[in-house]
Amino acid sequence: MSELDVAGKSLVTTPTEREIHIERVFDAPRDRVFAAHTDPELIPQWWGPRRTTTVVEELDARTGGAWRFLMRDEDGSETVFRGIFREVTPPERIVQTFEWDGMPGYVSVETADFEDLGGRTRIVSSSIFHTPEERDGFLDSGMEGGMNETFARLDELLAQ
Amino acid sequence: MVQYQTVDRTLTALADPTRRGILERLGRQGVATVSELAAPAGMSLTGMKKHLRVLEQAGLVSTEKVGRTRRCSLGPKRLEDLQGWMDSYRSMVEERFDRLDELLERTKGDGS
Repeated sequence: MSELDVAGKSLVTTPTEREIHIERVFDAPRDRVFAAHTDPELIPQWWGPRRTTTVVEELDARTGGAWRFLMRDEDGSETVFRGIFREVTPPERIVQTFEWDGMPGYVSVETADFEDLGGRTRIVSSSIFHTPEERDGFLDSGMEGGMNETFARLDELLAQ
Repeated sequence: MVQYQTVDRTLTALADPTRRGILERLGRQGVATVSELAAPAGMSLTGMKKHLRVLEQAGLVSTEKVGRTRRCSLGPKRLEDLQGWMDSYRSMVEERFDRLDELLERTKGDGS
């Protein structure tokens, strides 16, 4: 078993200048991990940081279908993420475009492969951006949005 | 927000393979002149100077004029900023996936 086969630990790398690569193993069968990505009732239970509320405005998880999630901060500010499913092959693969109204007009393409590890599942996700600058801008904004809470939660964890 | 601009500058500086090569070389050999850096890269002095300026502005390289040559070495700014920034992003991804983990745990035995 390699280090990456341990559940609950993500590998995040930037293998090329336009890419973000993420891998993580989940201790659950593949169909359930996949369903968490396509079921409108499950998405709000995990998508986005804890302090936020996610409203699924649209989720047509079929090839060609659209998705649109509204994320509400605890101070009431809202932001929208949306895209089109380019490929949905249950329970193996989801390819979708990703846009965020914080960076209008910039579209990345995210491919998520769900690997069956026999009762456990590995998600291998790769996001491709048009330019290195777009990727860096995305990483930057992601950090800005999630950092404070992330650090708070890290504090909690370390205090345990 | 200032630190994000710094990170931007660092990333722009690092987004080019020639510039990464310069850093690698300076990391290995400590000090090199502009022409010593330009020759193996098959690059004109002017081209190399442009790259060095970007690296210098990002704090990744320091240059010093000694007589008629310019000596380059690694700058005061190491890659710790960038590392910290990637770690923060990783933590954010981790949080999202931790929530997914919890959901999967919660819904265990729900039929599917």
